[in-house]
Amino acid sequence: MIILRNIFKSFGEKHVHQGVNLEVRDRETLVILGKSGGGKSVLLKMIIGLLQPDSGSITVDGFEVTTMKYRELQKLRLKFGFLFQGAALFDSMTVGENIELALRRHSEYKESDISERVQYALELVKLHNVEHLMPSSISGGMKKRVGLARAIALTPKYMLYDEPTTGLDVETADGINLLMNELKTTLGVTSIVVTHDIHSAFVIGDRFAIFENGRFILTGTKEELRSSADPEVRKYIESEIQI
Amino acid sequence: MSKSYSGKSFSFHPFSKIGKTTTRFFEFLGKYLSITWWMIRNLRNAKEYSRNITQQMVMIGNNSIPIVIFVSTFVGMVTAVQSSYQLYDWIPRTVVGALVTKSVLLELTPLLIALVLAGKVGATITAELGSMRVTEQIDALEALAFDPISFLITPRVLAGIFMFPILIIFGDLVAILGGMFGASAVAGIPVEAFISGMKSSFETWDAVFGIIKAVVFGYIITSISCYLGFIVEGGSEGVARATMNTVVLTCLTVVVMDFILASVLL
Repeated sequence: MIILRNIFKSFGEKHVHQGVNLEVRDRETLVILGKSGGGKSVLLKMIIGLLQPDSGSITVDGFEVTTMKYRELQKLRLKFGFLFQGAALFDSMTVGENIELALRRHSEYKESDISERVQYALELVKLHNVEHLMPSSISGGMKKRVGLARAIALTPKYMLYDEPTTGLDVETADGINLLMNELKTTLGVTSIVVTHDIHSAFVIGDRFAIFENGRFILTGTKEELRSSADPEVRKYIESEIQI
Repeated sequence: MSKSYSGKSFSFHPFSKIGKTTTRFFEFLGKYLSITWWMIRNLRNAKEYSRNITQQMVMIGNNSIPIVIFVSTFVGMVTAVQSSYQLYDWIPRTVVGALVTKSVLLELTPLLIALVLAGKVGATITAELGSMRVTEQIDALEALAFDPISFLITPRVLAGIFMFPILIIFGDLVAILGGMFGASAVAGIPVEAFISGMKSSFETWDAVFGIIKAVVFGYIITSISCYLGFIVEGGSEGVARATMNTVVLTCLTVVVMDFILASVLL
């Protein structure tokens, strides 16, 4: 379980988080909805200690992240898979090497098993015969899939998705949504998805948290979201209806 | 915001500017030193990234050989021709060999190759790490529980420390051969006279001093360029700015260190 309590974070004069509280339950997919540039991605990075909050508490499985030593933080990060907005594939490595990297460093797999594991991860994201390709020679949708394969290669307990469908066409975005649902069923992961795409959110989410002006103004199920009278929440529901 | 007695904001006050610049300088230096300290503390992890070190040795070393040959050849030839031009007729021509050898080993090859590599190697490293930073590849490494300093910076700095001396020893040889060619082809000094002057003036310490400089320059260029790439902010514009800063800062630091080493060691 991931719990954020009273998180404050500023970048210079910009106060991006002003008392954020959030609970993510085991095996659920929580979707964080909010405007672009509002600080949603920063939240994900704070959960795995890539960024530090100015104040507040973040616990993962009961362990406080904000005060963890570096080695402990590295162990904690192995519980997470992170799909970055632009996939963040290492562009000096092939697709296969991108996925192998963490396996070689952090797993007990033998050399022969590593390539099998890479194949398995690629099959999960519906990609075949792409191990030898360089990231620069594959499409945006494929990059996201490879990023996903890399994130799940070590079988994480938690998945963090940062705008998984942004910049993709509808068909490819639907493919990624389907994939995220399949991974949830197959691997039983707990997921946090940051997006401003309401359509994707309702396809993949169990619960939803609306992030506005540095804090969550509502957290609840799809039904709770739809029945809310809050005009900020209604904006999202109405945009879904338009879709 | 605080106001001065004249009503103007303190931010326009010259002391405020000096204060801000000083703070920024010490912040920069502090972060640079803390990354260096982290690198030293975790040096034992370097063997886990031996593949990265080898790759960087190829990038810094092998890929720089053509430019080192080019620069060194001309450095040697120019030194020989200019030495010959400056000598009075009554001075023996063997002195040209001595001058070329001394100048090349002590100063010209280490300094000029370092300045050229500050542009080539330094700029490449900053651009590469800066691009990785702005495309979240460094965050991705950290998310995969890698230590990005040990994975990205240490191999480059170690490769620089190992490869710069090799390049400079190689450059010394090429420059002396270039000098020999320049002396005989342009200044009409016989090869035997050049070699005789070279032998009479050669001291092992001169070559060792050049190698010490190479190690220091290798460290300065790779560590500064890694650091500036690692902390890039602001997208591709930030990468371009950091790359330019790397070339300027490494060149300035190299010439200052050149003076300090000469003052201390000679």
